[in-house]
Amino acid sequence: MTLADLKPGQSGKILKVNVTGALKRRLMDMGIIGGTEVRVEKVAPLGDPIEVSIKSYALSLRVGEAKSIEVEAE
Amino acid sequence: MANNKETNSSSRNNMIIAVAGNPNSGKSTLINSIAGAKLSVGNWPGVTVEKNFAEFEFRGQHITLVDLPGTYSLSPYTQEEVITRNYLVHEKPDVIINVVDATNLERNLYFTIQLLELGIPLVIALNMSDETAQKGFFIDIEKMSSTLGCAVIPTVATKAEGVERLMEKAVEFAAGGVDHPYGSIFYGEDIEKAVAVILDEIKNKNNIEFPRWLALKLLEGDQLVAGEFGISTDAPFLAKATRHLKEAHSDDLETLMADARYSLAAGLTREVLKKPAKRKREMTQKIDAVVLNRFLGIPIFLIAMWFMFKLTFDISGPFSDWLDGVVSGPLTRWTNELLIAISAPDWIISLITKGVIAGVGAVFVFLPPIFAIMFFITFLEGSGYMARAAFVMDRMMHAIGLHGKSFIPLLMGFGCNVPAVYATRMLENQRDKILTALLIPLMSCGARLPVYVLFSAAFFSAYAGTVLWSLYILGIVLAVLMGLLFKNTLFRGEAPVFIMELPPYRMPTAKNLIIHTWEKGKHYLIKAGTWILAISVFVWFALNLPWGVESKKDSYLGRAGQVIAPVFEPLGFGTWEAASSLLTGVIAKEIVVSTMGEVYVPGADEEKEETPSIGEDIRQIVFSFGDAFVNAANNIFSTFGIATISVEEDEGTIGLKSVLVKNYTPLSAYAFMVFVLLYFPCFIVLIAMRHEFGTWKWAGVTIAYQTVLAWIVAFVIYQGGRLLGL
Repeated sequence: MTLADLKPGQSGKILKVNVTGALKRRLMDMGIIGGTEVRVEKVAPLGDPIEVSIKSYALSLRVGEAKSIEVEAE
Repeated sequence: MANNKETNSSSRNNMIIAVAGNPNSGKSTLINSIAGAKLSVGNWPGVTVEKNFAEFEFRGQHITLVDLPGTYSLSPYTQEEVITRNYLVHEKPDVIINVVDATNLERNLYFTIQLLELGIPLVIALNMSDETAQKGFFIDIEKMSSTLGCAVIPTVATKAEGVERLMEKAVEFAAGGVDHPYGSIFYGEDIEKAVAVILDEIKNKNNIEFPRWLALKLLEGDQLVAGEFGISTDAPFLAKATRHLKEAHSDDLETLMADARYSLAAGLTREVLKKPAKRKREMTQKIDAVVLNRFLGIPIFLIAMWFMFKLTFDISGPFSDWLDGVVSGPLTRWTNELLIAISAPDWIISLITKGVIAGVGAVFVFLPPIFAIMFFITFLEGSGYMARAAFVMDRMMHAIGLHGKSFIPLLMGFGCNVPAVYATRMLENQRDKILTALLIPLMSCGARLPVYVLFSAAFFSAYAGTVLWSLYILGIVLAVLMGLLFKNTLFRGEAPVFIMELPPYRMPTAKNLIIHTWEKGKHYLIKAGTWILAISVFVWFALNLPWGVESKKDSYLGRAGQVIAPVFEPLGFGTWEAASSLLTGVIAKEIVVSTMGEVYVPGADEEKEETPSIGEDIRQIVFSFGDAFVNAANNIFSTFGIATISVEEDEGTIGLKSVLVKNYTPLSAYAFMVFVLLYFPCFIVLIAMRHEFGTWKWAGVTIAYQTVLAWIVAFVIYQGGRLLGL
């Protein structure tokens, strides 16, 4: 499953980031790294983007990017 | 670092301190409390990223303080990160102050660790230490300092606490060469072995100031850095050095390095940070529960924007009017009389009063809204709401290829396109900035209203309001269509991502607000002001030469109007009068009305006013400045009441209207209004684009696409209307 499948309030552990290049590096720099805990906090009023908490801060990203982040629900 | 000290012998006289840190770490507040009013705002060469710097004396030491763009990493992928690392590597500052948000230690330390790879002396400003105390966090500063091999000074930038000690430590580090060993960041045996092999290979190369940093970048496969040193990322020695790493871990060494850095940051955070077991629900989460609510999020955003819009233009309006009044009234009169007194020729008087002084007026009129808009944007950014606005609006704006934040400059465009173009600097990405700026002129600004008012009152008096609204909506619809068009043509394939931190809400400090607002306004005055003056003088020549012609028809403007008039024939207004009026719209769209007054009703404008004495003038200037304050204050209050677009009629245009009715049909009048809505923006908008983007290219694109668009839409409306028998 991917980060986009988690509902608000659900947490998961990141398994893999299925993108390459600049986007991957950007996600990694923001803390989206295998083994990291992530929790979906909110979905924007129009359904996209989403807000997650990771490494004790709040990050927003689009559903499109969230779909490329494999997670394991907890 | 020893080589740095030797090569940089001037460092005794001038010490360079670079300030680096994550966005939202309080970096700019900290810089303001260090440098205060000495801060200057500029741009990094060739890019739209803002550069803040200051020069000052600290205890007898001359210091240049450079604010590096806020970044999360030193990757080769974003403008900000490339600027930051190029500056550090090429300019070799004597010391780095790394601002670390103590409430968000792990992600901030990830960046610190990358800075330490360079081996430049580093002092950490552990900022927002008051907030950590409030949260019940305990940070072991001693341990942090000894583990990282750098100084750690707790600061509270908003209260200027710790700033003095921070500067002392930075100067001490820079001067004393308190070098921390390269090995202070240890990435584990496998990585370090590979680094050692690479180091061995590159040690004979010249001009390598930061060998360990270079080795790590080569290991990561950083093409940009490798290329700079003439090394191929496919070089055999690199393959050899990394073979074991790739076999034992993964092929993707960039990921491996990010992992290694984050595990170090995580490990260090675990060791030095003690958090209370139970976390209470924080204020930010409480506010976000409302502000980002499914149903309330968008209404709250729209209300916030409505207030921002009203306050920006209502507060700045009276001051713009006052500046305009002073420049076009007393200042022009005094200069006029002075020039007459020294018996200057007529054309000189006209050039100076109508060219130069009118240009000065044009520069100043835009200053109040630019100040106002920069104030509110700095406030939105500093408070943390800007990121929420982007979060709420991104879905809608993304559909037309824009960023969530683009909504704000576009909205401001309805007041005035000039500050709106400046407002695009709040977007991070160059593509977003440019695309937003290209669409701003389709937002019908306040200066176009007088044209609509004149024509709708003359031709559509019964339903003038509907006609007005139709124009605004037409502009928005075309902006959406043009956004889609640009997204799929000029800007195809480089859609930037939306990966954005939602920082905690914080109260921006007054000092921060004032300094930023002031600096941006000053920057506009100096950079754009010169251009505006020059073009204003040029326009004077076009309007008034050849000198002494009786009829406007024989001036260069009138002649140009005659030449291009046939172009407007299919649109229903192919007369030299209409064409010349449109040409003068480049000065400001409302000028179209006054030009029409001159070309359609010659001589109507020539009533002599009584000339007040200088004493009266000065009294008037002072009183009207007071009035401006009163009006601005009144406007603030009336903002909270109900306001509508007021369709006030100018008394001077009654004669003009009766002439217009003879020259236009309702259909051609509407086509004319649509043309005025869409054709190229005033030159000040073009200068603002040049100023923001460092090239005339985008101003040129704007002129071209808008003029074509205006012609096509006006053509469709006029010819379509005729087919329908209108």
